[in-house]
Amino acid sequence: MATREPEKIRAIDAEYLAGRRFSYQEDQAEIEDVDLLAATPGEDLNWLEDVELLEEDGMPAVFDRYSNSFLKIYFPIPAGQEDEIARKVLVKHLQSGSSYGIQLKEKHTKFPQPELGPWVDGSPTVGTDWHPPVLEGWEPPEGH
Amino acid sequence: MAAVGERRVSYDARGLAEPHAEAPRVAEVEDGRAVFDARDLTTRQINLELRRLLYEEDVADVTVQNPGSKHSLGVGILTRCRITFEGSLGYFGCGLVDGPEVHVKGRVGWSACENMMSGVVVVDGNAGSLTGAALRGGDVVVKGRVGARSGIDQKGGTIISLGDAGSMTGFMMQRGRQILCGDVGPGLGDSMYDGTIYVAGKVKSLGIDCVPGEWTDADTELIERKFRIYGLGEPPAFQKFVCGKKLYNYDNLEPSERKLVL
Repeated sequence: MATREPEKIRAIDAEYLAGRRFSYQEDQAEIEDVDLLAATPGEDLNWLEDVELLEEDGMPAVFDRYSNSFLKIYFPIPAGQEDEIARKVLVKHLQSGSSYGIQLKEKHTKFPQPELGPWVDGSPTVGTDWHPPVLEGWEPPEGH
Repeated sequence: MAAVGERRVSYDARGLAEPHAEAPRVAEVEDGRAVFDARDLTTRQINLELRRLLYEEDVADVTVQNPGSKHSLGVGILTRCRITFEGSLGYFGCGLVDGPEVHVKGRVGWSACENMMSGVVVVDGNAGSLTGAALRGGDVVVKGRVGARSGIDQKGGTIISLGDAGSMTGFMMQRGRQILCGDVGPGLGDSMYDGTIYVAGKVKSLGIDCVPGEWTDADTELIERKFRIYGLGEPPAFQKFVCGKKLYNYDNLEPSERKLVL
């Protein structure tokens, strides 16, 4: 019997999950207006202190913990601004709702929460009417 | 009605202890601020009232009176806001939060701020063991002492304790920072993979692969900044401890495993 090895994805990046590349990955001008201090709780960078520029598949990239994926950066990064650029690209990604983890929220989130998390004021609330998914034709075992 | 001997099992897929609880709507709201008394409310009612105010009423500042050391209060808050608990919290307070700035005017039990993603939690009193367990980001400031294994599996963020810290503090720490102003028990930083621990007092003993680190200007800047932001006065002199990297083998891990600590 002929068999074929299934495709193995070793490095899931944000583009793979979304099915497309985002313009702010290619154009630094699109992230210039991101205010990192305003985007984070407290008086300093808070959680962004732990975000730094990394590398994925030989490309500069920032890790999006909300979708467990790397977001590659394609424009030249000025020396000395590596982490700042990485943080701005990530915050833009989250605030725009493009992160795959955010896209899953409307359908799957079980508890009320803002769709765009703590990154955008006045974001709509999702998860207010969650029901367990029902598999068509499935019956619970006797006694349940 | 179930016949005698017939099993009737009901459950909620979310694992809720009170699946049909509703927000009690007892808060007094004025000028974007809310206050409610939690004395006669259950844990779930308190958390539902908090979420109702923050997500439905657009309140950004909530004060909870008489939290009564109930467990699991203020968990899963995923928005920018201010929450004040006028009293102590029990186990697992303020866990799984992303964004809030919380002030606990009392003590907290085990595992406060576990899995916190971002935000600020300031505790006026002592904190139990496992404070900041698996912390991912944000600042946890304990003005008293912290118990054993604080910052276990810490993957980011900053834990500050003005008092002593228990045994095995920073156990299996993977990223982030701890600033400990008092003495520390045995096994500091045992099996840590990364991150930095600053200690102003005496260290009973270092854990496996935890070694003194070289002080840099970035360390001074970090400590002075955190002390200034939280009004903690003049920082004392600290020793720095880091991972000796004898156990460090991230480079050999599969990419998906590496992501677990980012």
